[in-house]
Amino acid sequence: MLALYRKLLVASIRAQMQYKLNFITSAATTGMIMVLDFLILSAILYRFHDVSGWNIYEVGLLYGISSVAVSVYRFFAPEINDFEKYVIHGELDQLLIRPVSPLLLLLTRNLDLSRIGGMVQGISVLILSIAGLYAQGKEIGLLLLFTPVAIVSGGVIYFSIALTTAALGFWTHQVKDLQTFTIYAPANASNYPISLYPGWLKWMFYTVLPIAFMNYVPMLTLLGKAESWYLPLLTPVVAALALVLSLRFWAYGIRHYHSTGS
Amino acid sequence: MVYWRIIRKSYRRNLQYRLSHLVNNLASSIFGLVFIAIWAGVLQGKQVHGPYDLQTMGQYIAVCQSVLWMTTFLSPGLTIPVGVRSGAVSLDLIKPVHYLWYMLCQEFGRILYNACYRSLPIGLLLGLAVGFHFPSSFYTCLLFVLSLLLGTFIGLLLFYLTGLASFWTTEIRWVHYILLSLVFGLGGQMIPLDLLPGVMGKIAPYLPFSCMIYYPVMTFLELAGPEALIVQGSWALVLTGIALAVTTLARRKVEIQGG
Amino acid sequence: MIRADRVGKTFFLTQAKEGRFSSLRTLFSREKREVKAVEDVSFSIEEGEFVGYIGPNGAGKSTTIKMLSGILHPTEGEIVVGGYSPQQDRARVASQIGVVFGQRTQLWWDLPVHDSFELLQAMYKIDRQSYVRAMEMYKELLDLHDFLDTPVRKLSLGQRMRADLAAALLHNPPILFLDEPTIGLDVVAKTRIRAFLKEVNRTQKKTILLTTHDMDDIEQLCSRIIVINHGKKMVDTSIQELRNRIGLASMIQIDYHKPPKLPEAYANEGVERIELAENELTIYYDKGKIPSPRILSEVAQWGEPLDIRMKEPGIEEIIKRLYR
Repeated sequence: MLALYRKLLVASIRAQMQYKLNFITSAATTGMIMVLDFLILSAILYRFHDVSGWNIYEVGLLYGISSVAVSVYRFFAPEINDFEKYVIHGELDQLLIRPVSPLLLLLTRNLDLSRIGGMVQGISVLILSIAGLYAQGKEIGLLLLFTPVAIVSGGVIYFSIALTTAALGFWTHQVKDLQTFTIYAPANASNYPISLYPGWLKWMFYTVLPIAFMNYVPMLTLLGKAESWYLPLLTPVVAALALVLSLRFWAYGIRHYHSTGS
Repeated sequence: MVYWRIIRKSYRRNLQYRLSHLVNNLASSIFGLVFIAIWAGVLQGKQVHGPYDLQTMGQYIAVCQSVLWMTTFLSPGLTIPVGVRSGAVSLDLIKPVHYLWYMLCQEFGRILYNACYRSLPIGLLLGLAVGFHFPSSFYTCLLFVLSLLLGTFIGLLLFYLTGLASFWTTEIRWVHYILLSLVFGLGGQMIPLDLLPGVMGKIAPYLPFSCMIYYPVMTFLELAGPEALIVQGSWALVLTGIALAVTTLARRKVEIQGG
Repeated sequence: MIRADRVGKTFFLTQAKEGRFSSLRTLFSREKREVKAVEDVSFSIEEGEFVGYIGPNGAGKSTTIKMLSGILHPTEGEIVVGGYSPQQDRARVASQIGVVFGQRTQLWWDLPVHDSFELLQAMYKIDRQSYVRAMEMYKELLDLHDFLDTPVRKLSLGQRMRADLAAALLHNPPILFLDEPTIGLDVVAKTRIRAFLKEVNRTQKKTILLTTHDMDDIEQLCSRIIVINHGKKMVDTSIQELRNRIGLASMIQIDYHKPPKLPEAYANEGVERIELAENELTIYYDKGKIPSPRILSEVAQWGEPLDIRMKEPGIEEIIKRLYR
């Protein structure tokens, strides 16, 4: 199964590489767009020093993790993000005649290489932020260790949310509007401390759209803003839980598709 | 008048999507609420910079989110690339109406629709969150309408120019994304441009992107006077000239190479 | 090999509302319309049979194929394909069947053809030896040599269909489902595909179920046809029997310069019926019994033809005749 996944993945990258120029321009523009985005954020923090007690490096840490995590998700799962067409045009049928899971096939289609630009931008922001914290005399050993965990968990959390949203498409046949709410808005919100948001939004970010656990919650401990030592442990646990639940819901959706078609 | 008819037709065509758009407005408003919350966190417990107290900043963001739907969220390349790919563009070019005004009117119908079914509901919704601001005089209203129209016009021209790029290159997707991020970044969607530090803060107000968001919003909040119209008017003239010139080039390209 | 037992498939479509707030009301509406796409269909197909599954558009052909291949689950009845239920054992059935949709390719669009084959080898866990053997055979039979290194998006429709067929057969499935495999192809490409299908059916004893709108496919390939209309099975019989029952007449229509002079009491085995209207003569005949060139040479003696049109009977024609 893993060998097959690897093989399909390599094939997908080779297919994309047929359009090298497109890859280079798209990755470069994606990166540039995100750099501009971060510039505005730093301009705000440069002028006002902090957002409810979080300085530029601390916010940069949140931003970097979210940025790389979302890029990782968009890199591996563009067809989940674009799932609507599979249900509407019945393209899913072709995946269902294969002796392997349709999800495995979806996850190896049209890898979005342009997201590498986003990863590079996010990692640069992370390096700058961690260096800045180090210069301020903060202990960064644990941060360095934890950041990869946060990125992977964050990617998994985004993927789980996206998969759940896509599976809703089996019933609603339309998920684009919903994605604004479940993916794009949370991705934006998670660049900043979750404590900023009004109660009901905060509640969503801790439960059905659990992006708080990707960066904000563990950083409370690691940046010395909370006493509890166990918060970083919640990150991979919540990610795993979200993944299991979303896979279940997806399987339920596929069963529904078997009985109704497109 | 033929141009008015084009506008009305395009407005009607968009009407059929209004329900799904009204639902989508709720999702779009979340973005506004997120930005407002961020500013609340930024400004909390700090001295006021210039006119921007907590409420004014909230209103700035709210009006921004509303104005975006008229000046910035336009069709990629004003749908010109679609016509170029299908070849329909050569038919549009020989129509007795000028291509530039024809494409602009078509999009303007959509903008009128957006004004009613997107800008207004989003503005009302966010207004409930931050408190409404009403222009204090007829004079302000007049300035705002003029500024908004100029901003829309400049947005239309910039999108038109990216669309024209499709006469020379097949893929304008990335040009479109770059334009959008320039407007978002330097147009004042997230932060009033006079708060930007250093060189950025000095240059950004004089770029065309500020005409699409910053000036209309500042005029509405009565933080900018008629001088805004001078910047906007100048850019409108310059961009009109460029758009007309590039249209001629594009037309020649089609005539010689057949698209 | 394939057994369908009183299979039915009912879809529930939400009734679209009209008037004010129509889409919102549709979304929350509980009112549903029942559509029986397939109703009480039973058949059993033995190993090595070549069956044409035909019917007009929307008759339930695709729905049946989708149920047989495990994409859709039947509302009623039971299906067994290659010894397993596609409903409960989708993955097992998948390795028993090869599926070709004429309308869309299952190959990797941007990759060379042989890359697709290698991926399928991994997907179906085909061992090295069988893979090499299958590749050698299909390269030969389908003449794939010239375009094995070409990306799929650059293939002609005929080449793509040949590659798709090889891809469907690579894992050596005993059963083939072909959904309009000749659609959009030119005559040469069609002939080639038919020759190939005949060959695998004959030498490898593949069980094949084919849907098509092309009567030539049916006549040249199928030993048996099942006709479905409005979701119900109408006819399940051999091609010969169907011909006896309704005739499967080809038609030649000739415009003459002047009204032609027909020989008195013209009779020929194979010619079903002759209609004459002023200058226009229409002959219905059975291609299996009398070749078209014979008819053409005969009608030329009856006058000076201006224009000649030939038409094959379509599926719609057959359905009409069945109802008559």
